[in-house]
Amino acid sequence: MAQQDTTLYHLRTVEVFGKPAEVFASGSRVTTLDSTFLRTYTAGSIADALQSRTPVFLKTNGPSGIAIPAFRGTSPTHTAVLWNGLNISQPALGQNDMSLLPLNSIGSIAVQHGAAGATYGSGAIGGAILLNSPTQLEPGFGADVLQEVGSFGRYFSSASARYSGRKVSVGLGGYYLAAENDFSFRDYGRIGGPTRQQDQAQVAQHGFTQDVSWQLSDNTRLALHGWYTHADREVPPSLGAANTNAEQVDRNLRLMTELNHSSNWGETSVKAAVFNDYLLFTDNNNHSTTDINTYQVQAEQTYTYARRWSLRGGLNLQHFEADVQGYGRQVKEDRASAFLLFRYDPSKRLDLSLNLRQAFVKGYNPAPAPTLGANWLMLQHDQHQLNLKGNVSGSYRVTTLNERFWQPGGNPDIKPEQGWSYETGLRHRYTLGTLQLESELYVYRMLVDNWIQWMPVTSSYWSPRNLQKVRSQGIELSSRASTTLGDWQLAATGAYTYTASEQVKAYEGNQELNSQLAHVPLHKAQLGADLTFRTWTLLGNLTHTGLRYTDNSNASSLPGYTLLSLALHKKITLGQYQFIASVRSDNVTDRAYTVLENMPMPPRSLAVGLRFVIP
Amino acid sequence: MKKITRFRSYLLSAAFAFGAVVFTSCSDDTNNGPAGEYARNGVLISNEGAMTYSNASVSFYSHDSKSVENESFKKVNAPLVLGDVLQHMAQQGDRLYLVMNNSGKVVVTNANTLKAESEIAGLEAPRYFAALNDDKGYVTEWLGYDPATYAYSNGRVAVVDLKTNTVTKTITVGVKPEQLLIAAGKLYVTNSGGNTVTVINTATDAIETSITVNDGPNSLALDRNNTLWVSSSGIEVWDVDEDDNWFVSEEKSTPGSLAKINTTSNSVMSTLTFSQNAPAPGKLTPNLNGDKLYYVFNNKVWVQDVNATTLATKPLIDRGTYVAYGFNGLGIEPASGTIYAGKATDYASNGWVVRYNPQSGAAVDSFRVGIAPNGFLFR
Repeated sequence: MAQQDTTLYHLRTVEVFGKPAEVFASGSRVTTLDSTFLRTYTAGSIADALQSRTPVFLKTNGPSGIAIPAFRGTSPTHTAVLWNGLNISQPALGQNDMSLLPLNSIGSIAVQHGAAGATYGSGAIGGAILLNSPTQLEPGFGADVLQEVGSFGRYFSSASARYSGRKVSVGLGGYYLAAENDFSFRDYGRIGGPTRQQDQAQVAQHGFTQDVSWQLSDNTRLALHGWYTHADREVPPSLGAANTNAEQVDRNLRLMTELNHSSNWGETSVKAAVFNDYLLFTDNNNHSTTDINTYQVQAEQTYTYARRWSLRGGLNLQHFEADVQGYGRQVKEDRASAFLLFRYDPSKRLDLSLNLRQAFVKGYNPAPAPTLGANWLMLQHDQHQLNLKGNVSGSYRVTTLNERFWQPGGNPDIKPEQGWSYETGLRHRYTLGTLQLESELYVYRMLVDNWIQWMPVTSSYWSPRNLQKVRSQGIELSSRASTTLGDWQLAATGAYTYTASEQVKAYEGNQELNSQLAHVPLHKAQLGADLTFRTWTLLGNLTHTGLRYTDNSNASSLPGYTLLSLALHKKITLGQYQFIASVRSDNVTDRAYTVLENMPMPPRSLAVGLRFVIP
Repeated sequence: MKKITRFRSYLLSAAFAFGAVVFTSCSDDTNNGPAGEYARNGVLISNEGAMTYSNASVSFYSHDSKSVENESFKKVNAPLVLGDVLQHMAQQGDRLYLVMNNSGKVVVTNANTLKAESEIAGLEAPRYFAALNDDKGYVTEWLGYDPATYAYSNGRVAVVDLKTNTVTKTITVGVKPEQLLIAAGKLYVTNSGGNTVTVINTATDAIETSITVNDGPNSLALDRNNTLWVSSSGIEVWDVDEDDNWFVSEEKSTPGSLAKINTTSNSVMSTLTFSQNAPAPGKLTPNLNGDKLYYVFNNKVWVQDVNATTLATKPLIDRGTYVAYGFNGLGIEPASGTIYAGKATDYASNGWVVRYNPQSGAAVDSFRVGIAPNGFLFR
């Protein structure tokens, strides 16, 4: 039992300061996705969860489901994605597709809103998504099998198994997804707008995850995490555009090993990783491959003194080898960064964090990224708690390889981006018996210099350009209430975001100043409800995405849309085993909508599933 | 330095993707004019839009209200989508023909109301349209793009029955056929991927002959003497410098030219060759009398007196360092001679129409239109 006690002890040292993602993020907004939601919604992808439960805006190129996240009016390249603490953003595109992994392969998802370059490195300008592999604390064997069948030829299967012993724990997971996406839509690209079946949105995906953890000694743990995903997706043409049979194949292999050791000097963590990201895009006129190997090492040391302060120092090294057809040659790049994160709790009611990161990239001189944050428990009265938070952070993004090397269009003179983010917020908590009410209000302002935007400079190719200064500012409001009433467990969430993202200074010309950037909705609102009655669970999500402009001159726009999704689960217990039957419907109101211009999205869909759980 | 030519045709095609200049005299019935929102005293503007986004549009500028209306096609026909890449807009009788390059079709609307009526489907990468009369029209099409070599095979001219809006015959011509023009019963087709102008008899729709000109013929115009002028781009060669930056090598490129063709003998009378190597002349546009031809060369607008034996030495419109696609479209208003330029800022935001004084070449005023304006129809 000694190991377990040690593990628990180590966990406790971290818990002093709250959840791991929040330790060095005083005063900034970090939300952890509700684990009940993740466990019930296992057939969905990470993108689905972010879409329905966070203010993150997911840009999707249509029904094939490629979904890239954007925070607070920034673009998808301004989102850092970390997997077990390592930045996994692919260096060619600088963005990550959130539809590649289903929720069953992920232990937890946390979302960092706003800049956090000091903590997460390049790209964390708008925010960061923190994915963690499942950790197994309960000993024994467990397994889970799920089969779902849905509208438009959708089949989803997943299976996972885990074993946790005294020293070793092993987890394995796999999934398979096939979807025809052959839904009907009105083709307004043709005279008369005939009803047509989508025939260019077929999807085939599969993936595996593997997590092994080995307690070498009382103080030392070794873990291996692996992730392989393969996606073959057709990309539908816009209404009215010729079908060029566009197809995208993504293959991502991510392997990492992590060694954790605790001593009198604190916690030592060394991570080493190898990633391979392969992308093949083909259509009638193109055959383009991107094949990138990333080697990454990160070492960090965390020292925690009592419950007063904690200091973490670390070093991150990255080496990229990019074989990209579009570059015409192999490109190699090394990046390094050093960081120092400091958390200080001068009193029980106040915590502060001061973080600093300096990146080193050949040919660039990234500015240091500091963070200063404070979280003050301003009021504690009866059942009420009110926190005041504030945070100032710097962030940066090293230009992607495509931005520099792609031919034609790559811009060797492109400058890296640099941002400052200021935010303040209030967090209110109210507890009365089983009733819990938690509300948050944040206002932020973000200034990004040399914001990079790809623009079609000629009719045949795009090129990245630096906008001199972009200002994004907005309000985020969210509330969550939960209670237990007899056999009922009720939870409701509501959120609203207002995002004004504008170019405020331009290198040349002035015609696009002070206009909302394309594809950034001013308003986004969500309502969610989780109702459980004995063995029944009902999940409901209502999301409203407001009007988005499709161009930087704000001359054309796409109307807002409201989507409702519902899922009903019934748990059947057979001895120690469980069956969970589910019925799920997306776009319940059968709304005709588009996320991007002239790209019709699926109408109402229905899916039924059966899940077998060995706990 | 190694010579890289595989991008050449790609970049040439990029350069040639612009330039839809349509000139029609259709205003001799002002007293008893046709009825319709867009039959008014004004200008229709075609906006190319960004490729694959299907956001091409039509704008209308009214001389009476001195105001511009954008998204006119959408306003009349929503939720119908015009299509992807409006390459060329031309009028024949009461019909407007909108060549949608990446939609593989020509959208046919009423010219006075813009109400969509029909479409000519089954085309591959259509470029330009010309009508012989209300019964017959021609569309140039690029064919056989090979992504490995960036090269095209021979293109074709589709013969269209304008009563049924169906393709009745196709005629194989040279590589990348661009602008076409009908003069004295003959159809002249510029084969921009080669060095010929194909001549087709419009009575038989058979090829009569082919006229050899300088490399890259891309636009043509008929002057008052019935002489056919053809602009040729020459060959643009790209090179790579020590820092791996691409640039146009003036040294290795060949000069563009204007050729004068006798439409009776179908032979080249003379060729006026530019002294500078790389820039490509294009968008030849005559004025109402046909005594002056306007064209774009080196991001400036030049005028050619049709009786002059040499090229102009100074441009009429010179904006100095100017946006790359400041003259994405060129039009001459018949009555006033005012020069209309379609200025594309980029392909993500709306462009402008800038009007210039025909004598001084000075910018008069401007108004904002759709993405990448490339052609004008004066009502």
